[in-house]
Amino acid sequence: MITLTHFLVVSACIFCIGLYAVLAKRNTIMILVGIELMINAAILNFVAFGKYDKVNYGGQVFAIFAIVLAAAAVAVGLAIILNVYRHFNTINPQNIHELKD
Amino acid sequence: MIESLLFYAFAGLAILSALLLVHIRNIARALFLLFIVLFAMAGLYLFALADFIAITQILVYVGGVLILLIFAFMLSNKELLDDLQPSSKRFISLPNWQAIILALAFLSLMIYSYISWAQHMPKWISQAEAKGRMILPTDNNIKTLGFKFMTQYVLPFEVISVFLMMALIGAAHLSRKESNK
Amino acid sequence: MNTFLHISPVTASILVTLLPLFACLAQALIGKKSISGNIALVAIIASTGISLFGVFLPIWNETTTLQKWAWFTIGEYTLEVGILLNNLTALMQLLVCIISLPVHIYSRAYMKSDEGIHRYWMYLSLFCFAMLGLTVSLNLLQLYIFWELVGFASYLLIGFWFTKETAVQANKKAFLVNRIGDIGFLIGIALVYAHCGTLDLSVLFNQTGTQIAIDKNATWVTFAGLAFFLGAMAKSAQFPLHVWLPDAMEGPTSVSSLIHAATMVAAGIFLLCTVFPLFNDTVLLVVCIIGTLTALSAAIFALGQHDIKKILAFSTISQLGFMMVGVGIGAWDAAMFHLTTHAFFKCLLFLCAGAVIHEMTHLKAKAKLDIDPQDLRHLGGLRHFMPKTFICMVVASLSLAGFPFTSGYLSKDSIVITAYEWANHLRGVYVLIPILLTIVSLLTAFYIGRLIFKTFFGDFKYRSYIDEGIIFHEAPSLMLVPMFFLAAGSLFPLFGISLTDYHSAWIMLTLDAGTNYPILAQAHLFIPILLTGGAILSWFMGWRWYVKQKYPLSENNRFVHFAYKQGYLNEFNEHIFVRGTTGLSRILYTFDRYVVDGFTKFFSWLVRQLSVVAYWFDKHIVDGIVNLLAGTMYYIGHLVRHVQNGQLQTYLGFALTIVVLGLLYLIIK
Repeated sequence: MITLTHFLVVSACIFCIGLYAVLAKRNTIMILVGIELMINAAILNFVAFGKYDKVNYGGQVFAIFAIVLAAAAVAVGLAIILNVYRHFNTINPQNIHELKD
Repeated sequence: MIESLLFYAFAGLAILSALLLVHIRNIARALFLLFIVLFAMAGLYLFALADFIAITQILVYVGGVLILLIFAFMLSNKELLDDLQPSSKRFISLPNWQAIILALAFLSLMIYSYISWAQHMPKWISQAEAKGRMILPTDNNIKTLGFKFMTQYVLPFEVISVFLMMALIGAAHLSRKESNK
Repeated sequence: MNTFLHISPVTASILVTLLPLFACLAQALIGKKSISGNIALVAIIASTGISLFGVFLPIWNETTTLQKWAWFTIGEYTLEVGILLNNLTALMQLLVCIISLPVHIYSRAYMKSDEGIHRYWMYLSLFCFAMLGLTVSLNLLQLYIFWELVGFASYLLIGFWFTKETAVQANKKAFLVNRIGDIGFLIGIALVYAHCGTLDLSVLFNQTGTQIAIDKNATWVTFAGLAFFLGAMAKSAQFPLHVWLPDAMEGPTSVSSLIHAATMVAAGIFLLCTVFPLFNDTVLLVVCIIGTLTALSAAIFALGQHDIKKILAFSTISQLGFMMVGVGIGAWDAAMFHLTTHAFFKCLLFLCAGAVIHEMTHLKAKAKLDIDPQDLRHLGGLRHFMPKTFICMVVASLSLAGFPFTSGYLSKDSIVITAYEWANHLRGVYVLIPILLTIVSLLTAFYIGRLIFKTFFGDFKYRSYIDEGIIFHEAPSLMLVPMFFLAAGSLFPLFGISLTDYHSAWIMLTLDAGTNYPILAQAHLFIPILLTGGAILSWFMGWRWYVKQKYPLSENNRFVHFAYKQGYLNEFNEHIFVRGTTGLSRILYTFDRYVVDGFTKFFSWLVRQLSVVAYWFDKHIVDGIVNLLAGTMYYIGHLVRHVQNGQLQTYLGFALTIVVLGLLYLIIK
């Protein structure tokens, strides 16, 4: 029997892996991949809970919305990455430190 | 029983390939690992009886996002050479220890809270279980979702459509080569 | 009486004043394209019409009208500006209009090919606005504002040919000398305000309503009167502040005729007539003496001049002196009468001179001569070439010289005869003034005769050029028409039917100052005969000297030289004021350098020594503490500095750490 908790634990694992990617990777594209992983974990939570909502179908509907948002985020994010690459000639976030004092 | 086995297989596949993804230094390979992760996730969605979401996941992520990522990676491939440089052979390179600690701490926090939360679930879930208001494998999800989108969720649907268009136009504008400069 | 479209005289008067202002603004906006001067001309024609029918006819001899508007309030006193219309102001405004109109028409021809003509029309309109506003001002401060504006317009027009060095010097001189007078005027205003608490002319001098009692024997009244007179002295070019007027002839001749002969210089006389009730006997005597001195000195200076315009300028000064005497002896009606007649014939004289200069300049340009077209010595025999100009000039000259049948005869006699009556009333040395005036009259006749003879009689030196085919002809009709108009105004019928009796002139009848000394019947008989006889005699002398070439004096006669150099007054000013100022500054400089600077240097040495001590204290004690603090802060800051390394991922890591800690706290709690 697969319970809700199973889904939640798997999604937590995927989420933390994504978090690690965001925090540690030295490539902006990989950071974006990490974000995608986190969004996927969230979608998994959506559909897992959505199983118990037959009246509104809220979980699945918002899972779709989340996928759309993720796609938009990727498109814009990649455009930004390209611009950053053109500007700094690198996509390593460690080399981009305009914010430094 | 087979169902559980399949679930664990999918979950294991997803988690392991995700771990490999974040560990590997070759980005091209990492992106193909992401492909596997996304497939595995789609399989997990099926277990949550969300067949349409699973298919959308494959269509959007594998067909769109992943291709985009690969393109972006290729367009900025100067870094590719850097990443192919031999690096330390250690499983976990030292500079990332803070990130690992942080991620593990977060994971343990979440799992702890999920387990403690599972003891007393919200009332609406137990009610749905009791009254049989759950989605069943026999339901026609796609049809219902179509109705829902066009009736109850028509406003968010339209808003998200416009938002997506704006985002795509914005992305196209941002990545345009500024020749006039 | 008011038949002119039923506009109230006040409104009409405002219209008269503002039309030239609008013309000025319009021309300023149009800029270089407004060369025809049509705007200015239309404005002044309309002003003249309105002034005659809308203001002068309803007001003259009828009523006094005024209207005021609050301008601003200081403390309890509300300053009001407004329009005051009585016989004096209405006459003055009409006069300005009537003189301006022919000059505008004349200018169209005279200034036709000038490069800066768009500026010319603008300035001329500005001047008309200022002068018309001056005439009807209700408030002394308002009057002062227009007074300054008039001076400014005059400054602009004197320096109209600003590329000419002399013109620039002349307008600077005019402006500076006028400043002296303006200060006097301002002091007068301040004194009146301090003692009477109002600047409203109608309240001050009982035009309507209550009169403020002025104790005529108070010292301040004398000072205020003298201050006003100082203002009038500068504006009306009275000795010794007359020095700017001859130099002002650097402006275009049409300007000289309008501003520096007929209207602006008369503003001083007008001011004195306006504030006449303020003057006590002391002030009047000073006015009288200065007036006589001016009349005499200017007449003498006029004898020695060669420049045709300078002769006329000194003649103007001399006649202004006459008017001053008129005011000084209390007969301000006679002064106004003379002002009016003088405006006509002096304006005409200038216009005629302008016509002559105009033609001479053409001749000079065509024949490529290197002569001064204004110099009398180059002129002569022009009556054959310019007969109409000649007639006009003779009419004006006769009027200036005071021959019968002219307006000048009436007005000049009125002043001289009244002066005799005044002197007879007072006795003693006062009789010197009318005697001097008589002499001045004869001198006037002589120098104007000299001007006529030298210009129009005798032989023309450059006849050979004309024989060679260079055209030298009569002035264009656009210039002649205004001259004929003014010539008609210089004859007696405009001012009264009586040929000899100035008392029956309509200006005298209405203004009537009411002098309180007895009329001398024999003066009325003898003085005109004496003056006319003397004038004829001096013309005859002039004829013999200048036409028949029997000049009795040598060229380098000291007296002639004295007159030519204008009594060395400019040199005197140069020596006394300019050199004096320079010398004073040199002394002050020395004082400044050795005494003031010495003190300063000593102090600076002292301060320097002090600061050395303070520096040591500052460096080792104050700075030590501060540096210690700063160093501590620096090291602390250095420790935390690494957090702010610009790495987004590090920032995110910190944020997440805080989130994790927060969640931990929530769980443990």
